[in-house]
Amino acid sequence: MRIIVNHATCQGHARCWAQAPDIFKLDDEGYILPGDINVAEGDELLASRGAQACPERALEIDRTAAAPESVFIQSRV
Amino acid sequence: MASNPVPDHVPPEMVRDFSLFTSAGMLPTPNGDPHAAVACVHAGPPIFYSPYNTRNGRGTWVITRAKDQRRVLQDAETFSSHRSIFASVLGENWPMIPLELDPPAHGIFRSLLNPLFSPKRVMVLEPVVRERAIALIDRIAASGTSCDVMKDFAFPFTVNIFLGFLGLSDDRLDIFVGWANDLLHGDDVKRPAAARMIVAFIDELAAMRRKEPVADFMTFVVQAEVEGRPLTDEEVRGTGVLLFVAGLDTVAAAIGFDLAYLARNPKDQDLLRSEPDRIGLAAEELLRAYPTVQMIRVATKNIDFEGAPIRKGDYVSCATMIANRDPAEFECPNTIDLAREDNRHAAFGYGPHRCLGSHLARREIVIGLEEWLARIPGFRIKEGTAPITYGGHVFGIENLILDWS
Ligand code: HEM
Ligand code: SF4
Repeated sequence: MRIIVNHATCQGHARCWAQAPDIFKLDDEGYILPGDINVAEGDELLASRGAQACPERALEIDRTAAAPESVFIQSRV
Repeated sequence: MASNPVPDHVPPEMVRDFSLFTSAGMLPTPNGDPHAAVACVHAGPPIFYSPYNTRNGRGTWVITRAKDQRRVLQDAETFSSHRSIFASVLGENWPMIPLELDPPAHGIFRSLLNPLFSPKRVMVLEPVVRERAIALIDRIAASGTSCDVMKDFAFPFTVNIFLGFLGLSDDRLDIFVGWANDLLHGDDVKRPAAARMIVAFIDELAAMRRKEPVADFMTFVVQAEVEGRPLTDEEVRGTGVLLFVAGLDTVAAAIGFDLAYLARNPKDQDLLRSEPDRIGLAAEELLRAYPTVQMIRVATKNIDFEGAPIRKGDYVSCATMIANRDPAEFECPNTIDLAREDNRHAAFGYGPHRCLGSHLARREIVIGLEEWLARIPGFRIKEGTAPITYGGHVFGIENLILDWS
């Protein structure tokens, strides 16, 4: 799973961060760091809760993307 | 009402007899519920024109759907915040900063101020906020089994935190509470008088901090630079005045509405007292159900918006109390469910002007509720008293006499 971050739409409500501070990282002003977020396998529920908490609809959930671990494992096989 | 002329471009069928100032339940009402009163607009069209919907009696478009409010508030180019509302009380014309600036100037000042109010900074402030809540509540608990929450807790608490930001001691607390009160409830003489006092006070404080810097907000503002230059006197004033106006009555009203709800709903009260971990989520639901701010924008160009012919110069009202009761956005919006999840309410607005103090306000409310519930046993509205609520530009509650005898 991947979270698509529409950085320009973020207004620093920090509701995503309040749900999952380790997944949604904020800058010093309290706005989300730019760049999409690859979600680790065990973090999917937390990450989707965080994405759904955004009042501005700046976070989009992409369930088609593989979690980073599985990509890693696949690439090793 | 309705004596106001409706502009020619507004189709008569889009005009509705509704006003956040004069409709039923908006004037000071004992045991009123102004939020439930405005929720009724959702029975009607998503957008309509109210001929009387500002403090000085101007007409506005009223956007009722949360989704449409997001569109308006996220589009500052079409819907401007440039109004000088506070200064106009004085017959002057300077913006409160950043509230009445538009991008790109807005962003420059927001970036300057954001770090001071960021979630991380607020975590650092938390112990001080908690200490102040405890001190006030302990004093109330020690002096009897009844108090007026607004006068004895909510206002002293929020004014105290404001004074802490400004590096000032508590000795002038009563004067500040008086100014805040006059500014909110005063008549045409008291309001400008209070506004003038607040401006003079901020100007004087800025001058003092310029001479002798200390580690506080005003010193930060007078030393700050934007685009390689220091702030002008007017910018310093606009910033300082907004902090006073934005942070006092909003948080105080939230605490008042929340404790009034809990006083009337003993089951919810007991639940939060015995399981304080639920207070964070509950506070969000109470912010959804009892938000306080109406946002007004001015159209910068003609636009046909969801069927409404909005013309350049029209006022557009986005009331958080209306968005937060939108059935398209919230399941059973008029039911208060303290465990509601995915609660993307609009209490702090949307778009670039999202409340700068939202992280601080949230902590103040949660800490206030936590410490109140931990220190005051089962409370109810004191028999023979009635909290007076009111609508308007900022919704509020005048008195809340609780009894725990
Ligand atoms: C529960 C309490 C509060 C509520 C409901 C609230 C609500 C709001 C709303 C809806 C806005 C957006 C206004 C607009 O878009 O025109 C706003 C802006 C603002 N608020 Fe709050 N507020 C609260 C507490 C505070 C506190 C404690 C502070 C100060 C420390 C504060 C400072 C500000 C500032 C400076 C702005 C202007 C931001 C900008 O224009 O960029 N607010 N507030
Ligand atoms: S919740 Fe949305 S607006 Fe708020 S910080 Fe996260 S991404 Fe930004």
